[in-house]
Amino acid sequence: MNRNLGNWCISVLLLLLITYMPCFGQSQDRSVPDATQPPCSDCHVCETPTKSNPCLEMCARTGAMPADLHKPSEGPGVRVIDELSDLYAPVDFNHKLHAEMVEMGEGCSVCHHYSPPGKFPPCNDCHTDESTEPQTLRKPGLKGAYHRQCMGCHREWSHDTKCIICHLPTNGYDLSGAPLDSTDILGISHPVITVPDKKVWTTPYQAGPVVTFHHQEHIDLFELRCVDCHKHENCSYCHDLRKEYSPRKTDEEIHAICNDCHAQDECGKCHGTKEKPAFVHAADGSWALNRFHAELSCRACHPTGKKISKLDHQCTNCHGGWNQKNFRHAVTGLQLDEIHAELECSDCHVDSAFDAPPDCSGCHDDGRSPKDAPPGHYVQAASK
Amino acid sequence: MSLKRRDFLKLSTAAACLGVTSTAHGMEDFKGWPDRYGMLTDTTLCIGANCRRCEEACKKTNKRSLEGLNLSDNSVFDHQRRTDPNSYTVVNRFANREDPENPIYVKKQCMHCNEPACASACLVRAFTKTPEGPVLYNKDVCIGCRYCMLACPFRMPTYDYFDAFSPEVRKCTMCHDRIIEGKIPACADVCPKEAITFGKRSDLILLAREKIRHDPDRYQQHIYGEEEVGGTSWLYLAGTDFTNIGFANNLGSTPYPEFTRGFLSAVPIVLTVWPVMLTGFWKFSKARERQEAGPETDTTVDDEKGWGDGYRHE
Repeated sequence: MNRNLGNWCISVLLLLLITYMPCFGQSQDRSVPDATQPPCSDCHVCETPTKSNPCLEMCARTGAMPADLHKPSEGPGVRVIDELSDLYAPVDFNHKLHAEMVEMGEGCSVCHHYSPPGKFPPCNDCHTDESTEPQTLRKPGLKGAYHRQCMGCHREWSHDTKCIICHLPTNGYDLSGAPLDSTDILGISHPVITVPDKKVWTTPYQAGPVVTFHHQEHIDLFELRCVDCHKHENCSYCHDLRKEYSPRKTDEEIHAICNDCHAQDECGKCHGTKEKPAFVHAADGSWALNRFHAELSCRACHPTGKKISKLDHQCTNCHGGWNQKNFRHAVTGLQLDEIHAELECSDCHVDSAFDAPPDCSGCHDDGRSPKDAPPGHYVQAASK
Repeated sequence: MSLKRRDFLKLSTAAACLGVTSTAHGMEDFKGWPDRYGMLTDTTLCIGANCRRCEEACKKTNKRSLEGLNLSDNSVFDHQRRTDPNSYTVVNRFANREDPENPIYVKKQCMHCNEPACASACLVRAFTKTPEGPVLYNKDVCIGCRYCMLACPFRMPTYDYFDAFSPEVRKCTMCHDRIIEGKIPACADVCPKEAITFGKRSDLILLAREKIRHDPDRYQQHIYGEEEVGGTSWLYLAGTDFTNIGFANNLGSTPYPEFTRGFLSAVPIVLTVWPVMLTGFWKFSKARERQEAGPETDTTVDDEKGWGDGYRHE
């Protein structure tokens, strides 16, 4: 009898346990939040937010924002910001470029700090021009919102707060004369980058494994801008500390950059068996630049095309406007005497070949040369 | 009426104390104009260099000379500047210990104290704490004593030393006339980063606390001006200790007028009660002496000893 009672008790207990086991499990499950959703407290500050009083965080910047689930490439390209253009020209905000930058860091939510599910509101959705009024002082106005987002990073990054970095000046409002080229990396906003003087690579090309690239020379000689060669590189190419967004360029891609200018050149132009020397005008251009010409930029004499073409040696190519009256002969180091100063240029410089030695035989038949019988007196050549 | 000397003393002291305390109590009841406005400057937002738009807007609004104002000249930050009759507000630069490459910029101007020391020091009541919050100056009554300049704990009022004929004390007005028009002060209006927020002072304190709570790493746990010298209308938030950016931390939370209030409120009592009281003492002691002398002493003897003596002999 006792044993029966004991068995009965045990079976009742087991039954109870089995019946309520799932309930325990369920009640435990309920207390665990859904892992796919951010916790409510990320956005709402009170216990029970309602539609009329959502009690949202003043400036929700923490936690998983819906914007993090999207890629910057889905965002807009260049966006023109012109709501406050009474003082400034509209700002061409390159959204795509900035989105690529934030990919290195915290993602879209760096700027889109409040993005309700399914929506990525631009700044002016929430921030309005009127919100500088006292009643909405918890939310900066549109002007403040833009500037806080932009200048926070720009100041930290370039230590510069010049308006000109983003705003092009409108007439009548001086934004201090800064260099203007918003299209190049070094245009207006980037701090100075130290570029290598030259780079030498060893390639698998057997006929000429060594490639010498004179980086600074290409900038100086051809007045190239950064983006002329670094075309498809975004900020993360240099600034990505995790090196996730800077894949190595393929051989085709590298050659494509050089081929912009060197498409017609042979391989040996770049490839060689040893390091190639830098460009020297005397060697490659066949005459050494004198004191006047050395100060000129290459484009002053070789103005056309990407490729620098050889000029013939005729001074009149450039200096066609000079004649016996307006040319001060003393700058060459020879002050002509009164008699010779009256002569036409071509009387001594036969056929206007100014690079050839002058010929005295037109008047003098004693076989003299300007050296032993100068047509004036030698002076110190003008330095400028 | 047989009033003992001791009792009289007790009574009169009690009366005097009552007078003093009731006056002081009357002052403490007033906690400031309830809806007064204020300004909150967030020094972590100010960019300073190449900006100073607040200085420009201030000069324009107050019709001060724009001569010599070059906003792109950052050499002005090389030394600490003070407000002057032509500049009601100045932005100064301070070294940032945490981030040396990004210095801290602080805009300074009149703090518009809840209980202004300048107003309390003024002999002719040229300063008024308006219900809107700004402390305003009335040039029509000013006698030019410049006590206000000495009294100010922030050294903000300035004087037209170079104006020989109609010099004025000059300082920030918190754009009182703009506030009356329903606009916000010029500096807050122009600030590109909205580092200066205009609003009701009570709301601004809540906003400042919210900011601190929300970003405790960015801000010091202190709203400068909330308690200093009894509270000011202009409030500051900072990311570094306030002593690093030129704010005094030894001003205390007692309103400056409070230091002199006890003395000043005692003046009327000293002038009115004391003469009566002291005469009373004198009379009382005389009467007592007379009583102690008893009936055998003639009043004339008493008179001969007292100052009435001369009277009699005349």
